[in-house]
Order: sequence, then structure tokens, then C-alpha cells
Amino acid sequence: MTAPQPEGTEATKSPGIEYFPKSKPWRMADGALHLLGMRCPHCGAKAFPARSVCHACGRDDGMETVELVPTGTLYSFAEIHAAPKGFPTPYVIGFVDLDDGVRLLGQVEHRAAELGMDEKVQLVEGVIRTRGDGTKVVSYKFRRRSS
Amino acid sequence: MMNNAYVAGVGMTRFCKMPERSFEEIGQEAVLKALKDAGVERDAIEEVFCGSALTGRSMGQRVLRDLGMTGRPITNVENACSSGSTALREACTAIAAGRAETVLVLGIDQLTRLGGGTIPGVETDLDPNLGMVMPALYAMRARRYMQETGATRVHLAKVAVKAHEGGQLNPYAQFRNPVTVEEVLASRMVADPFSLLMCCPTGDGAAAAVVTTKKKAAALGKKLIRVAGTALQSGLYKPGFRDLTRSELTERTAKLAYEQAGIGPEDVDLAEIHDAFVIAELMYYEALGFCPPGGAPAFLESGATRINGSKPVNPSGGLLCRGHPVGATGIAQVCEAVWHLRGEAGERQVEGAKVALTHCTGGGVSGLDHGSCAINILVA
Ligand SMILES: [Zn+2]
Repeated sequence: MTAPQPEGTEATKSPGIEYFPKSKPWRMADGALHLLGMRCPHCGAKAFPARSVCHACGRDDGMETVELVPTGTLYSFAEIHAAPKGFPTPYVIGFVDLDDGVRLLGQVEHRAAELGMDEKVQLVEGVIRTRGDGTKVVSYKFRRRSS
Repeated sequence: MMNNAYVAGVGMTRFCKMPERSFEEIGQEAVLKALKDAGVERDAIEEVFCGSALTGRSMGQRVLRDLGMTGRPITNVENACSSGSTALREACTAIAAGRAETVLVLGIDQLTRLGGGTIPGVETDLDPNLGMVMPALYAMRARRYMQETGATRVHLAKVAVKAHEGGQLNPYAQFRNPVTVEEVLASRMVADPFSLLMCCPTGDGAAAAVVTTKKKAAALGKKLIRVAGTALQSGLYKPGFRDLTRSELTERTAKLAYEQAGIGPEDVDLAEIHDAFVIAELMYYEALGFCPPGGAPAFLESGATRINGSKPVNPSGGLLCRGHPVGATGIAQVCEAVWHLRGEAGERQVEGAKVALTHCTGGGVSGLDHGSCAINILVA
């Protein structure tokens, strides 16, 4: 229910590219990536990915799909030098607190030495790994916000 | 109701890479040592609980078949890094329920079967697909912890140096060499700010314990060691902000274990804690109440947690040096605790130890502090 969808729809498939999650739960607007998450109409809780049961209050009726804000603050990060196959080492991952309160893990488009704690970042679309057959996996990632 | 189980015997293999041995053979070595240590025959065992996380299915049956010990209830327990500790808790429950008097607990994993590298994540979870690996999760904790407390990479390195002081003295440890701060800092980078020697190694091993009633334990003539507290909790799901510099899960589990045992952190004579990565040891000093929040770097530097300090932590070398065959770790901690409480820990003996705490926590599940945490308190 909360897991990434196992099958992509035809509309989200392109040659040599796949999306993660496969359902491509985001919308691009003005260069920014808006993730589609859940909002509970009963208690106001938000979460990503979208789901049909509220983790906070337990209600299972009427969960809304909403766009999360595309900006947030980098809480912490690590530069990974030893990773499973296909990830482009070294790469940085970080926890980001979006401005509407949802925390996300994702890759950050910079080296660790260029980044600071609590830096303002925004969501963008980009390649996160390359499969053995050359397929690029595209997902959401973070970029420093140009000020 | 959970506090009437006694550990009558323990045994373990050395933890190391043993790709040439079968996991059945590794497990059998630990079981036979524990039975012999307890002085019980195989037929005295009424139930078995086997903790393992990554090696296979029906692990208890596979290990016990050739020892002729199947045919009784065998419960296989998977709870990531807490698998072995959780199995011990279940054994205590079986005794408290009056269902069995003498129970065997086994913890086992053989990580060399996985082909090396970091432990793979679960493919349906978000974070591993995005590039998360376990060292990076702790590395992010470390970076934030350093920012908020002023701790440095030298503090992180000193955790590893201390671990190697214990490991050097422990014949069961995977690493038995001393290291310096400079060597730790200069080892190759794994997940910045962690270098290789700031991360526990992968390896193979098994550990076992015979748990029984007070009456049976007394009849066996061993020093009585009671499981005075055994607590298990799971992580809370928080899709928003979480303070990664403290472990709410370990704090919550410790509170329950201390309450059951009727003691506080000041009463603990030695602790075996889950130092999978150097920052974990510092965070858990605080979460277990050994020092105030933010006080761990100074507490480490005071020498309090060395073998001859006021609060010895991981005299075995911990996960960093003894090693971490995931499901085996919780029971290896119990072995270590029992040896200290009996005064049988040799060169690394914590003198006069009467109360030992064992702590495991792990299992990467996106949105949780950890999958689970299990704490056992043993009292001589
Ligand atoms: Zn709700």
C-alpha cells in the first residue's frame, strides 16, 4: 500500500529510462519538482509516498493526494564512497525537511565539501543510478537553491 | 513475570570470516559449547529459539538436525540486529509462562554468504532505492551530532581505538590488533565522515545460551545469573522531522528494561552496546543514561568507558572489533556479560561486575529510528 508501485504505466515509460518510484509520483512546474504525497483530511498529517490509511490517526477514508512544497532545508548529509552497483560513487545523500514538514531522503547534486548544514535546497529531477543494461533510473533529488 | 529466567550456560564461536565452514557447523559449535558450559544433556532442552537475520530459513532446524536435537518446538526469530536478543526474550517468556524449564537460545549468521560489501536494503523500501546504505545513515547522524555538540572526527576515531583495546584481549574477536587515532582517520573513506575503521566488519559466527529456572540453575551448580530485565520495542514512524542525534527508541527500551530490573543506569557495572558505527556508541551512552545528552564525547575522553573505568562499555571490543554476524550479536553480548559476572573474562575482566546490560538495535526501515531495539539486563 505504501510501497512503490511495481509496474509503470505506459505514459511513464521511455526507452533507456525508468522512474523511481515507477508510478512517477511527481509533477514538474517551473523547473521545480512537486512530489505527490498524502494529506489526511481528518488530522492534517502529511506523508510521502501517498497512501490510503493515515499513519497518524488510523483513518482509512478520504485521504487526499496533494503536492508537497518543492523547497526545504538540508538536515544532514553523507558522501558515499562504497555503494551497491550502479550508484555513481562518490555521491551525496541527505535528509531534507521540506517546508511543509515532510522529511525526505534523497541524493544531493553536490560534493560534501560544497555543502553546509541547514542549507536551503529544492527538489529537481535527475538520474540516481544506472542499471547494468544502461537504463538510467530517474527520480527526485536535491539541488542547492540559487539565491 | 519476566524476571525468573537464569542463564546457566553460554558458548560462542570466534567471530570472523569463515566461508569455508557451513553455517550448520558454525551453529553446532556454539550449541555444543553452551550445553557443555551449562552441564546439561541435549535431552534436557525443551524448546529452542533461534535468532538470525540474513542467512536463511528454518535456521534452528538446520543447525540442530545433525545434533539429533530436532523434534521439540523450535522458533526462528528474525528482528534484524536484535534477532538474537529477541530470541532470548522469547526464551524468558516460555519459562515465565511455565511452558518449559530449560530452553536453548541460538544466535547465528554467516554474512560471507552474501558476497561482501554493505548489507543490502529491502527493495520495496524507498531509501535503499535512492542510494541509502547503513554506514550513510549513521554518518548523517554523526555529522549532525558533531554540528550540535562540537564533537570532532577525532572523537569518532577514539571510539574505535577504545574498541580495539577490548578486541585485543578477546580471543573471540574478529580484530585483535591495536589501532591509533591516526590509523583510524587514515583508513579509506566509506561514507564521509566515516572511514573504514569507524564501521563494524562483516563476518560469520554463532553464540548460544542455555536459559532455565532458578531451581534447575541452582541444581547445575553454576553461579546464578538472572535475566532481571528483558525489553523489546520497535521504532516509531515519523514522516517528518526527527532528531537524529538521539535515539528515542533506545531511550524508550532502556526505561522499560531498567524498570523491570528495578535498577538505574548508575547500577550497571558493564554494558555491551550496539556500536555498529562509532557514532552509535556515543549516542547510546546518552540514550542508556550513562552520561547527559551531548556529554558523550567528554565521557569517552574521561576514560570512564574503558575496561578499568567507572562504566566499562564493550570490553569485548563491541561490534567494531568482535564483529557483527547480525543475528549472533545479541547472544554474543550475553556470553560476554555472563563471563564477566562469573569472573571468567580473563584479561579483559571487569572486576567485581554484578550487573551487566546488553543492547542491540537495528534494522533499516525508512521513517523509523530503527526497526527494533532489545535490551537485556543480567544480574549475578
Ligand atoms: Zn490522520
